[in-house]
Amino acid sequence: MELNTFRGSFEHVVKKRKLSSSNCLQVVDKINHELERALLRVQSDQDLTLTVDPKSILKDLKSKLDEFGPEKELESSQKELNTNLSKTQKLLEKALNPDISKANRKIEFDGQTMNKIITDHLLSQGMFDVGDCLIKETGAPEANLLRSQLLEMYQILEALHTRNLQPALNWVTVNHEKLKENGSSLELKLHQVRFMELVQQGSQSDALKYARAHLAPLACSHMDEIQKLMACLVWIGKLEKCPYFKLLAITNWEKLGDELSRQFFLLLGRSCRLPLAVAVEAGSKTLPSLLKLMNLMGVKTQDWQVMEELPFPVDLGKSFQFHSTFICPVTRDQGTLENPPMLLPCGHVLCRHSILKMSKNNSRTFKCPYCPLDSSVAQCRQLHFP
Amino acid sequence: MEIDPLPNGNTATENAAARPASDAVASLAAAAKAAAPALKVSHLSDSLKLEHQFLRVPFEHYKKTIRANHRSVEKEVSAVISAVDSSSSSDFSRDDAVSHLSSLVSRLQGLKRKLEEGSRVENLQAQRCRARLDHLESADADNLSEWSNTRLKRILVDYMLRMSYYESAAKLAETSNIQDLVDIDVFHEARRVIEALQNKEVAPALAWCADNRSRLKKSKSKFEFQLRLQEFVELVRADNNMRAILYARKYLAPWGAIHMKELQRVLATLAFKSGTECATYKVLFEVKQWDNLVDLFKQEFYRLYGMTLEPLLNIYLQAGLSALKTPFCYEDDCPKDDPLSQESFRKLAASLPFSKQQHSKLVCYITKELMDTENPPMVLPNGYVYSTKALEEMARRNNGKITCPRTGVVCNYSDLAKAYIS
Repeated sequence: MELNTFRGSFEHVVKKRKLSSSNCLQVVDKINHELERALLRVQSDQDLTLTVDPKSILKDLKSKLDEFGPEKELESSQKELNTNLSKTQKLLEKALNPDISKANRKIEFDGQTMNKIITDHLLSQGMFDVGDCLIKETGAPEANLLRSQLLEMYQILEALHTRNLQPALNWVTVNHEKLKENGSSLELKLHQVRFMELVQQGSQSDALKYARAHLAPLACSHMDEIQKLMACLVWIGKLEKCPYFKLLAITNWEKLGDELSRQFFLLLGRSCRLPLAVAVEAGSKTLPSLLKLMNLMGVKTQDWQVMEELPFPVDLGKSFQFHSTFICPVTRDQGTLENPPMLLPCGHVLCRHSILKMSKNNSRTFKCPYCPLDSSVAQCRQLHFP
Repeated sequence: MEIDPLPNGNTATENAAARPASDAVASLAAAAKAAAPALKVSHLSDSLKLEHQFLRVPFEHYKKTIRANHRSVEKEVSAVISAVDSSSSSDFSRDDAVSHLSSLVSRLQGLKRKLEEGSRVENLQAQRCRARLDHLESADADNLSEWSNTRLKRILVDYMLRMSYYESAAKLAETSNIQDLVDIDVFHEARRVIEALQNKEVAPALAWCADNRSRLKKSKSKFEFQLRLQEFVELVRADNNMRAILYARKYLAPWGAIHMKELQRVLATLAFKSGTECATYKVLFEVKQWDNLVDLFKQEFYRLYGMTLEPLLNIYLQAGLSALKTPFCYEDDCPKDDPLSQESFRKLAASLPFSKQQHSKLVCYITKELMDTENPPMVLPNGYVYSTKALEEMARRNNGKITCPRTGVVCNYSDLAKAYIS
C-alpha cells in the first residue's frame, strides 16, 4: 500500500526534526558559551587592573557572534526540515483521498434528527453514560423507555457473561409467546445449557426433574433436540463417550448472548444490526466509487444536486440487500405495480410490458426470449416478491 | 521431547471419532471465509483511502508545532543577538555590562528549557501520527468488524467535536479507549475562539488569525476582514462614531485593495444607524452575523488542519443512505434491518438520490437471504415467491404443506413452480 511511502517519508521528517532540534540546541549553547566567557572576562577584571574595558569585551563578543552567524545556522537545518514536511504532506495527499466531501450534496442534515440517531445508537451499544451525556449536551428529548429496555438487556447479557442464566431465563419466560411466534429456539438453548450443566454434574434426578419442568413444554417445536438431550442422561458418568454430548454442550456463551440480543431487539421492533452502523458501513463501501466517478467524469455540481438515481450500481454485498428488486431482463425496467414481473409457463420471468409487446398486445402467442417455448399472455402469472 | 505413543494414539482416535460433524462445520466456515476475504480486502483498501483526515490532522498539528517552536527560537536568538549588538556600541560601565550579560545568559537558559519542552511535545505528536498509521495498517479481514466499530466511534467523536458537544466526545473517546485516534486536543484551540465569538468577543479569534497569518493569507481567507467589519459595526451600533471611523482607518483601510465593495457597504452603516429598515444594512446589524462568524471560523479551521468541511458522519451517511435507498424502503413492511425503515433515517435520505439497480436481486421474505442459483426462487400458486431453502424447511416441518406467510394460502410442496430470474 502507498501508505508505506508516506511512513518512510514521515520517519525521515522525524529524523530531520531531531537533527534540527539538536542543531538549535547547539547554536543556543554556543551563544551561551560566548556570553558566559564575556561575562567571565568582565567579572574577572575585579580590581580594574586589566586594560580591557567592558566595551571592548562586548565588541569582541559581537564580532565572535557575527562570525558564527547563529541566525543563518538556525535557518539552514530548518529549511531542509520544511521541505521534507511539505513533501510528506504531498505524499499523504497522493496516497489517500484528500477531499472525501467532493461527492457530497449540498444539503443540511437536521441537527435534532442526527442527535436522536446518535443517542439511539449509543444506548443500543450499551454506552449509557455517553448517551446520557449527549442528551444533556444537546438538550435532545430523553429516550427513557428505550433506555430502560436496553438497560434490562445489558443487565441480562452481563449476567450471561458471568454464567448466570437466571435473568435470561426470566426474560424468556415472560416473552415466551412472542419468541415462539418468531420461531426462536433461544428458550430451548438456555434450558439446554442449564440441563447439560446438571448432566455434567452427574445428578441424574435433578437433570430429569429439570427436563420435566422446562424441556417438556417445548416438545412441540423441538422434539428432535429434546430426544437427543434426554439420551445424554444414559451416558452420565462417561459423557465423553456420548455421541451427542459434544454437539449439545453449549460452550459458546458469546453466541448465546448474540442470539439473546438479536431476539431482544426483534421484540423491541428494532434490529440488532444497528442502523447507524449499517448506514456508515454502506457509506464506506460506496464513497470510493462515488469519488472516483466525481474525479473521472467531472460531474457538474448542479447535475449531481438533482440526480434522482445514482449513476452506477453499488454492490454492497449480500448482507446489505434488504429488498427484492426485479429488473426485467428485456427492457431493463424495474418492476412496479403497473408493470409487474410475470412468470412465463417455461419458468422465465419478464415484465408485463415486454410480454404485451411481444404478444402484439395479447393478439398472438410469442416465443420466450430465453428458450424456444411458445406462450400466450393468458398462461402468464403475475409474481409477488414480498 | 519424550514421545509417549500409546495415550497419544488413543486420544487421536477418540478425537477422530467425535470430530466429523464439527470438522464439517469448521471446513464449511473456512471455505466461506476464504471466499470472502478477497472481496473484503479490496473493499478495505478502498475505504482506507478515505482516511486522509485521520492522518492529516495529527501531521498538520505536528508540523504546526515544529514551525511555531522554531519561530520562537529564532525570535529569541535574534533578540539576544541584537541586544549584544546594541550593547557593543553603548558605553556600559563594568557593572552595567555584568548585569546586561547575565540577563542575556538567563534568557538563553530559559530558551533552552523551552527548546527541551518543545522537543518533548513534538515527540509526543510524532508518536500520535505513528499510532494512527499503525491503526490504519492493523485493519485486515479478521478484525474487520471490530475495526469498523472503532471507525464509527471515531466518526461520531468527530461529529460531536464539530457540533461542540465536547463532553460527550471526551466521554466516548475515553470509554472506547480511542483518545489517540481522535482530535480532541486540536479542537480545544477552536473551542476557545468559538465560545468567545458566541459571547461577541473577537480578541481570541484575532489572536488565532495572527498565529496563522501566513496560511490564511495563502488561502485568501476573509475571516480576519470579517472580524474587523463586525467590530466596526459594533462601534456603530454603540453610536461610537468617532471611534468607529478611527477603527476603520486603522484596521479596515488595509483591506481596501481586495474587498472594496464590502468595505464601502459596511462603512455606509455610519449613515444608516442600527435602527435602519433598509434591508441591505439591516442584515449587518443582525445578531445572526455572529453565528456566521462562527461558521466562517469553523471553515477556516477545518481547512487549516486539512479536515473535511462537512462532518465525516454526514459524508458517510449521504453516500451510505443513497446506496441503500430504494422505493421499497418507504413501504410499511420495510424490514427492520434496513436503516431506512426508521423515520429518522428516512428524513435524512429525503433529498438524496436512489440507488441504481441493474440486476434483479431477490431477498427471501422468510429467511432474509439472497436468492441465487444455489437457493433459487420458487413460486406458490398465488404468485408469491420465496426461497427454496425456506420452503423446503417449511414442507419438512409440516408434512409437505406450505402456508404462504403473507396471504395464509395453503398448498402442497408439489404445487410449487420454479422461476428463472436473471
